[in-house]
Amino acid sequence: MAHQYVDLDTLKFILYQVHDLNSTLEASYFADHDLESVELFLNSIKDLSDQDLYPSFREMDEKPAIFKDQTIEVHPSVGTMMKKGGEMGLISAMFPYESDGFQLPASVHTAAHYIMEAANNNLPGYIGLTQGVAEILVHFGNQALNEIYVPKMAAGEWGGTMCLTEPQAGSSLADITTSARPTPEGHYQIKGQKIFISGGDHAYASNFVHLVLAKIEGGPAGTKGISLFVVPKFRPESDGQLTPNDVITTGDFQKLGQKGFCTTHLIFGENDNCRGWLVGEPHQGLKYMFRMMNGARIAVGRGGAAISMAAYQASLAYARERAQGRPVAQPEQKEPVLIIHHPDVRRMLLLQKAVSEGSLGLVLLAARYADLAATHESEAERARYQLLLELLTPMVKTYPADMGLVSVSNGLQVLGGFGFCSEYILQQYFRDIRIYSIYEGTTGIQSLDLLGRKLTMKGGQGLQLLAQEIGATLKAASQHDELRPYAEILGSKLPLTTQVVTFLMGFAMKGENERFVADATLFMEFLSTQVVAWIWLNMALHAKNDLVSGNGKYTREFYEAKIHTMKFYFKYELPKINGLAEAILNKEVLTLDGGMEIFA
Amino acid sequence: MKSLVCISHVPDTTTKIKYDAAGKGLDKTGVTFVINPYDEFGLVRAIEIKEKTGSGDVTVLCVGGPEVEPTLRKALAIGADNAARVDMDPTDSRSVAEQIAAYAKGKGFDLIFAGKESIDSNGSAVPGMVAELLDLPFISLATSLEFEGDKAKVSREIDGGYEKLESSLPLVLSCQKGMAEWRIPNMRGIMMARTKPLEVVAGHPMDAYVLTKKLELPSAKAGCIYVEPENAAQLVDMLHDKGLI
Ligand SMILES: Cc1cc2nc3c(=O)[nH]c(=O)nc-3n(C[C@H](O)[C@H](O)[C@H](O)COP(=O)(O)OP(=O)(O)OC[C@H]3O[C@@H](n4cnc5c(N)ncnc54)[C@H](O)[C@@H]3O)c2cc1C
Repeated sequence: MAHQYVDLDTLKFILYQVHDLNSTLEASYFADHDLESVELFLNSIKDLSDQDLYPSFREMDEKPAIFKDQTIEVHPSVGTMMKKGGEMGLISAMFPYESDGFQLPASVHTAAHYIMEAANNNLPGYIGLTQGVAEILVHFGNQALNEIYVPKMAAGEWGGTMCLTEPQAGSSLADITTSARPTPEGHYQIKGQKIFISGGDHAYASNFVHLVLAKIEGGPAGTKGISLFVVPKFRPESDGQLTPNDVITTGDFQKLGQKGFCTTHLIFGENDNCRGWLVGEPHQGLKYMFRMMNGARIAVGRGGAAISMAAYQASLAYARERAQGRPVAQPEQKEPVLIIHHPDVRRMLLLQKAVSEGSLGLVLLAARYADLAATHESEAERARYQLLLELLTPMVKTYPADMGLVSVSNGLQVLGGFGFCSEYILQQYFRDIRIYSIYEGTTGIQSLDLLGRKLTMKGGQGLQLLAQEIGATLKAASQHDELRPYAEILGSKLPLTTQVVTFLMGFAMKGENERFVADATLFMEFLSTQVVAWIWLNMALHAKNDLVSGNGKYTREFYEAKIHTMKFYFKYELPKINGLAEAILNKEVLTLDGGMEIFA
Repeated sequence: MKSLVCISHVPDTTTKIKYDAAGKGLDKTGVTFVINPYDEFGLVRAIEIKEKTGSGDVTVLCVGGPEVEPTLRKALAIGADNAARVDMDPTDSRSVAEQIAAYAKGKGFDLIFAGKESIDSNGSAVPGMVAELLDLPFISLATSLEFEGDKAKVSREIDGGYEKLESSLPLVLSCQKGMAEWRIPNMRGIMMARTKPLEVVAGHPMDAYVLTKKLELPSAKAGCIYVEPENAAQLVDMLHDKGLI
């Protein structure tokens, strides 16, 4: 039996009740799914995770992916993941029926991947990237690309990757130099190199479909000149034979964590024989890639939430068994108490619970918005949910990663010295979660996106819509005596938010754009901490409703623990925004001015 | 081959068991129910036989209220063709066996599968009784099933080895590990299960033969007492106090 790495009751409570999956399923697009089939699917994913993912979690860390004989050697469970991903329909789950998919809601798909990531965060990325690449082709690729590549990827036989990063161009994609030269035959000659490519090569896929960002020669400069290409490792010829396509793997980056998820260095066209096929229109590459990247950003948040949940479960189990010290009030007591009785340990565990479940609530909310933005019958509602989704996305990417790290660190602390030792799993969670604040756009870049783009988008409508959503929860929560004080606390923070936004926007209006975004990361923390407070109040509201009605599916303790954790969040986390606001509103500018000398 | 697979709807093994206030049943709040794992061996073998021969069908049957239907849907998602629920509270083994026998009678099943026991009440009684009520041969604790002509070749585990048996059909089997590998339902199976037939059959009215009077949890285990190696004398004293030495 696998140890407890996920809390399925909480996952289902948030998915089904807090975010009302039934209302999502009302869309005609999802007519073939219902709560019963979703329940069956998620339980199947849990069985798969117990059986095939969790058992190799430690071993993938101990025997990392490694470059050997011109290819990457990965753990054999990668083979199982690819095979099961195909057989179980996980890769094609969200595709439309026309593309042999199952039209599964993103909310359910997110919940499924969350379970797998909590079991073993090294594995789901292999099928996640394959799915993301196939999805781009389904949406933007021509018929030929769809026929050649999508079925093989959906079956888990061929792997997919996203190739954006180059040695000189990570955060700034405008600076990529990989080139694409048109040929009379219709394909392009690709030349360049890409680094840090996840899942880029291994023995458990017979081919790789790289989605490569490159610049067509003679095209516009900067991001406007970026196009998207399918560049297979082996190109399928008209007779079905596979010919090597001059894509060379030159290494695998050895890393702090997530060591079983290979990170490759690829060279395209070293022998001028690398063919690529354009996806969609020329120079629209970033637009297409953003579809995958927005999904991937939610996936990163999901992974952060999953790891922090798995770490919480491990810390909790330890604290329930480890005896140490005496209660402050009974220093003479003969037997030591279990550490779970010490207030400071309880604080750390509650922080883990608050962050991991709050992150999950946030991630599943984004998935719900994605479903509604795609399928709501009303066009106005679709646009409204799209805007909310766009505003939330940088926070969904960042909060579960950054605060997840803090929560896992507290979880490691719960174990004392053993937390630092390889024998216990906490140190692996701690190392694994670190990457989540980096890939798919660093926290710095997400924060620029939130403040510089998302907040100002469509005349700042996104924030207004979010305020309306929060307002509705405050109103409903105020109906319960127990929750009203918390609704009032959150309500009382809104003027501060307005003050901070108005202050920052003042710089934008004056054209002082650097000053406007200089503290973007503080603003990210300021806003996302409040958004998660709202998520918690909403979870507490649903728990309270169930307690009052007596019709809830879960135990009284389950609901009461939700309300308690909300209170914890409001006491220990939410007040931090006051300090953040103070720093943001402080007129002193310390990071912009002073050149290199300030590091003297 | 036409197969009937008897399915028990049982709490997941990870469930923390609590009894209801009356102490006569399980407190089902927050409990996840699953297909009894031993029944699932029989289910998968029945499906494999159908897949291999390309003919026949697999019906799954559960005696219980509407709450067992998700468990039957899972069996359909794994690959059964039809499901039936006998609408009756499964009180005791004998009455459950009578309901199953009444359902199966005259339907021409070649094979009737069950698990070696259900993991909730561990009765191990139903399949034998079904065989008796239908006047069919019965093999318990089966670990494999193959065919030769119109005969079933069955292995069963015995103390220290395996027993190889041959039987005519129809046949009732209780299955255990080895019979097949469990299958996890895939997306297609789950979606198809929604439209596969699930028939609700009225149970034959009957009184329970055996009544549950009380369910009790085992008394809590005494905690561990740690004695430091240098305090061996303390250990001796303790054992002495308890009258153990
Ligand atoms: C394990 C792993 C897997 C990866 N997988 C993939 C993959 O599959 N495909 C792929 O294409 N890439 C992948 N990446 C690359 C990843 O997306 C980049 O590493 C990331 O976007 C940061 O780019 P960089 O490493 O070049 O850092 P840099 O861009 O050099 O950033 C360095 C620091 O400067 C900051 N910074 C940079 N520009 C700005 C700015 N304008 N304003 C403020 N701060 C700024 C950053 O926030 C960061 O703190 C992966 C990376 C790793 C480590």
